[in-house]
Amino acid sequence: MAELLVPFQYDFMIKAMWVSSLVGAVCGFLSCYLMLKGWSLMGDALAHAIVPGVAVAYLFKLPYAVGAFFAGLLAALGMAFIRQQSKLNVDAVIGLVFTTFFAAGMLLVSLYPAAINVQTIVLGNILAISDWDALQVVIITAVSLAVLLLIWRDLIAVFFDEDHAASVGLPVTRLKVIFFTLLSACTVAALQTVGALLVIAMVVTPGATAYLLVDRFERLILIAVGLGAGTSFVGAYISYFLDGATGGVIVTLQTLIFLAAFIFAPKHGLLARRRAIKTTVLADGRDASASPAASP
Amino acid sequence: MMSWISEPLSYPFMQQALLIAVLVGTVCAVLSCYLILKGWSLMGDAVSHAVLPGIVIAFLVGAPLAVGAFIAGLFCAVATGYLKENSRIKEDTVMGVVFSGMFAFGIVLFVKVETDQHLNHILFGNLLGVSQAELIELAVTAIAVIAIVLVKRRDLMLYCFDPEHAQAINLPVRSLHYGLLILLSLTIVASIKAVGIILVVAMLIAPGAIGYLVTDRFDKMMAVAVASAITSSVAGTILSFHIGGATGPTIILVQASLFMVAFVFGQRRTSPIALDRKAAQRPSLR
Repeated sequence: MAELLVPFQYDFMIKAMWVSSLVGAVCGFLSCYLMLKGWSLMGDALAHAIVPGVAVAYLFKLPYAVGAFFAGLLAALGMAFIRQQSKLNVDAVIGLVFTTFFAAGMLLVSLYPAAINVQTIVLGNILAISDWDALQVVIITAVSLAVLLLIWRDLIAVFFDEDHAASVGLPVTRLKVIFFTLLSACTVAALQTVGALLVIAMVVTPGATAYLLVDRFERLILIAVGLGAGTSFVGAYISYFLDGATGGVIVTLQTLIFLAAFIFAPKHGLLARRRAIKTTVLADGRDASASPAASP
Repeated sequence: MMSWISEPLSYPFMQQALLIAVLVGTVCAVLSCYLILKGWSLMGDAVSHAVLPGIVIAFLVGAPLAVGAFIAGLFCAVATGYLKENSRIKEDTVMGVVFSGMFAFGIVLFVKVETDQHLNHILFGNLLGVSQAELIELAVTAIAVIAIVLVKRRDLMLYCFDPEHAQAINLPVRSLHYGLLILLSLTIVASIKAVGIILVVAMLIAPGAIGYLVTDRFDKMMAVAVASAITSSVAGTILSFHIGGATGPTIILVQASLFMVAFVFGQRRTSPIALDRKAAQRPSLR
C-alpha cells in the first residue's frame, strides 16, 4: 500500500502529475470541437510541424514555446497557401507540409545530436521536465483555458452553423483564428507531456469518447475535460512505476476508455445498438434494417 | 562536380544505402499516386504508426518482426473501418483514435520489454544499418508490390478515382480496397527499416503530389512520381553524406524542394473536374 503512495513523495512526480492534468484538460476541451469538425488530423499535423522550431529553440537556448510557435505558424501558412494555389486535396497538402517540417526537424537533430534530445521532443519527457519548460506549459495552458472559458459558446455557434453565427454578428474569422492559435498553443504544451507523436490522441480521443456518451455539448465538454485531466493524472502516476513512457501510458488509458465507451455506452454503444436492433426485430418481426435506432 | 557525386559512391555502405533509398523511393512513389487519388494520404500515416506494437509483440513471441508489423498495420486499417461503421464518429477521428492508441500501446510495451531494437531506428530508420537479409527482404517486397500494382493498375486507378463506377462495371471493389491496404501495409513494413515510421509517410505523399500537379494523365503522373522519387533518393543520399546529416530526412527535404519547383513552375491549369472537387469540399474545411 505504501508503495503506491511513493510517487506522491517526490516533487518531480507531483509537478508531472498536475502539469499533465492541466494539459490534458485543455486538450480535452479543444478535442470536442476538432472531433465534430473532422479536423482531427490538424492536431497531428501541427504537432509534427512544430518539431523543427523546438529543435532550433533548444539549439539556441531560446524558450521552446517561441520556436514551436513560429514553426507552427509557418506550417499553417504554408498549408493554406499550397491549398489555395493548387488542385491537391487538403489531406495531401497537410501530409506533405507536416512531414516536410518534421524531416527538417530530424535533419537538425542529426546534425546537432548533443544539443537536442530527440526523445524528449517526439515522445515527451514530463517526468524530467525542467522548471523553465514547466512554467511555459503552465502559462500556455492557463491562458488557453481562460480564453476558452470566455468564448466557448461563440465557438459552438461558429462551428455548428457559420452562416448563422455571422448573421447574429459574431466575428467568425477572428474566432477561428483564435481557435487555431489555441490549438497550436496546446499542441506546444502537449509536446512536453506526451511528445509530438501522441499529441493527436490528446486532442481527439477525449472528445470522441464523450461523443459516444452524451448528446449535449456542455456535457460533452465537461466529460472530455474530465477524461483528459484524469487520464493524464493517472497516466503520469503509473509511468512512475514504468520509469517513463508517460505519453504512452496516458494515451493507452484514453484509448481503453474509448473502447469501453464504444462497447458499453448507454445509447450510442455497440451493445445498446445491438439491443435496439433486436427489440425492433422482435416488435416488428419483418424489417430490422428500417429501425431508426440502428441507422441514425 | 563529378567527384562530389562519385566520392560518396566509392564506399560500399553508401552504394547499399543508395540502392535501398531508390528501392524504397520507387515503391512508395508508385503507391503514392493511388493514395493521392483516393484521398488516403493520411492512411499511410495511420498504418505506419500502428505497426509499432506489432513489432514489439513479434519480438516477444519470436516471430519475424515484419510479420508482426504487417498484421498490426492491417489491423489498424480494418479496425478504423469497423469502428466507423459501428459508431457515429467521423472517419478521420476514428483513425486518429486507433492509430495513436496503438502507437501509445507500442511505446508502453517497448519500455516494458527488453528488445534488441533501438526505438530511434524504428521511428526514424537507419539507412546505413540495413543488413544483407533485410535488403533482400526489402527488394523482394518492393518488386512484388510494384509488379502487382502494374498488373492491376487500371482496376486500382478506376477504384481510387471513382469507386461507384468501378462497382457498376463489376470490378471486385472489396478486394481492390483490401488489396490496396495490404500493398500499403507491405510497403510501409518493408520501408520502415530504412526510413522509419514517420518519414515513410512523406515518401507516400510527396511523389504522387508532384505527379498530380504537373499532369492530368495517370500514366504520366506515375512516371513523374517515380522519376522524382528516384531523383530525390539519389540526390538526398549523396547530399546527406556531404553535410553529415541523417539520410532519410535529407531525401524528404530534397523531395519537398522538388515539390516546390513543381508547385511554382510546373502546375498545369486546374482541370474543371479538380475544381469541382475542390469547390465541393471547401465549405467543410474553411
